[in-house]
Amino acid sequence: MNSDLQALITTLEMAALTTIILLIIGTPLAWYLAKMTSRFKVIIEAVVALPLVLPPTVLGFYLLIAFSPEHLPGQLWQQATGQQLAFSFSAIVIGSVLYSLPFVVQPLQKAFEQLGDSLLEAGALLGAGPIDRFFSIVLPLTKASFITAASLGFAHTVGEFGVILMIGGNIPGETRVLSIALFDHVEAFDYARAHLLSISLLMTSMVLLAAIYWLNLPQRSKYKDLTVQAARDEKSIDE
Amino acid sequence: MNNYPINNAALNNRPNNKAPQLDLNISINYQQFDLAIELAVPLIGITGIFGHSASGKSTLLRAIAGLETSLRGEITLTDKASVSKILVNSEQGLTLKPEQRQIGLVFQNSRLFTHLTVLGNLEYAVKRCKNSHLSFDEVIELTELSAVLNHRVNQLSGGQQQRVALARAILAEPKLLLLDEPLSALDRHSKTQLLKMMLNIQKQLSLPMLYVSHSLDELQQVCDNLLVLAEGKVVNFGNIHQVIHQLNNDNNSDIIHQQTSLSLPIKTFNNGHGLTALALNAHEDIFMVCDQAFEQQTQLRCFILASDISITLTEPTNSSIVNHLFGTIKQINHQQNNVLLTVHCGSQDFFVTISAFSQQKLSLTIRQQVYLQFKASAVRTFIH
Repeated sequence: MNSDLQALITTLEMAALTTIILLIIGTPLAWYLAKMTSRFKVIIEAVVALPLVLPPTVLGFYLLIAFSPEHLPGQLWQQATGQQLAFSFSAIVIGSVLYSLPFVVQPLQKAFEQLGDSLLEAGALLGAGPIDRFFSIVLPLTKASFITAASLGFAHTVGEFGVILMIGGNIPGETRVLSIALFDHVEAFDYARAHLLSISLLMTSMVLLAAIYWLNLPQRSKYKDLTVQAARDEKSIDE
Repeated sequence: MNNYPINNAALNNRPNNKAPQLDLNISINYQQFDLAIELAVPLIGITGIFGHSASGKSTLLRAIAGLETSLRGEITLTDKASVSKILVNSEQGLTLKPEQRQIGLVFQNSRLFTHLTVLGNLEYAVKRCKNSHLSFDEVIELTELSAVLNHRVNQLSGGQQQRVALARAILAEPKLLLLDEPLSALDRHSKTQLLKMMLNIQKQLSLPMLYVSHSLDELQQVCDNLLVLAEGKVVNFGNIHQVIHQLNNDNNSDIIHQQTSLSLPIKTFNNGHGLTALALNAHEDIFMVCDQAFEQQTQLRCFILASDISITLTEPTNSSIVNHLFGTIKQINHQQNNVLLTVHCGSQDFFVTISAFSQQKLSLTIRQQVYLQFKASAVRTFIH
């Protein structure tokens, strides 16, 4: 198989799996942060936002150490699965989850904060329990933010380079993703293939982002109504 | 705790202690606000809760609904079927969640679900109601919503939104319905419409209601009993008219417009000259300006502001003022430049404010016999 095609498949698998994991752990984390009043909130928020400012190689370096068989996380993984964690597909997925966490948590947290408690209280008084309220009220009213969070998480993972270079290496079919393949071509002065990969990554990202904004359009106007309503509610309560 | 005047008439009307009742013994402490209430509220008709802002009215409703978490004490609800349910008992560490309490709450802002239609909002309640008995169509008819069922909620007017909120709360079939200033954002027409609707629903479904408002005019029209709160404490509780009359004499006249509050049977709808006669007692009538809305009613809630009544020492036979009543001064209460007189006429106390100057001029004293006079237009009612 064409090695670039294989790299594309690895990239898509990694990004899809990462996005699913991020939605599963990011949603409760964002909810918790949105409802949290304790002063530890800022510390958790800072930790979640770290990947936005930290050089990816710093995160990758510490993950590389943690994933090595000499250290506890790597040891535990090896005992549980029988395989080494560093330089594996699992390692780059875990790395991506940490690296793309703020892109999923932040839009969700903002949406949950804007939604507020008033509609949830109304739902509770009509007999809806917490899980019911999440699926019948929160999810439909913050659908646009979920789409944004998932798309940003996916796109950001596709574009990842530094973390994967540190903890994944360059194993074809396992950890060799598009951005690494591109780097290889440049190193080998194979600019023709580098151009091909770069152009296709650029186009795909462009199309993906345009699709996010397009998908958000109808919901966004609805969402605006909701926030205006919420703002009005807040105001009338203050009065 | 029970150092506030309680009207025993209101409390002793209960045939036995299994009547629907809400037992409150709660305290809530915030940094700048304490609420402490110990009271048994008989759930008869609509019970009004009145007080200034920050008196704890809304906090009390939220505590009953289960939305106030930092609460100590007990709340027990006894329903129509004489079943008592403990909603909170902080000593036993028991707190029912709002969704387990079967208590409805209509908020000041309607809090409708914007992603659903009117019908969707109503079905939200129906779907979550265990063993429902109410007919959906009956509730739609009572709240006059059939024309807007397929509308989006943000297309509705404020009054329509509150009617949807009311219908939605009723369709969850609560044992007690709480109303937290549901009319405060509405215009006068929508207010009267919704008040009538509330009264009608209360009677049709015999659903007890606690109705919080800072407008005594609204409460006077629909409530049977009134609870007055100030700074998180019960100031007064009992029959609505008696409580209003007690507030008249509380010297803090800014809390209410001093008034005589009455429920009277309609004797003659229209006397041929556009006046309605209300029977004050077997011998005396009060005339008020006739309104078409009175035609279907047999009983009318009305009030006369104390400042709208004047005093004469002789019977005013040559006056255009249609209402004059003979009575005895029972109490004289000096309030700055005014004097509040309580005048006993037949079996009813009337409240009159006159200037201190007039009181001196007429040298009015207790047990003196006087005539009250007030125009037909001074007899006011809120429902038209």
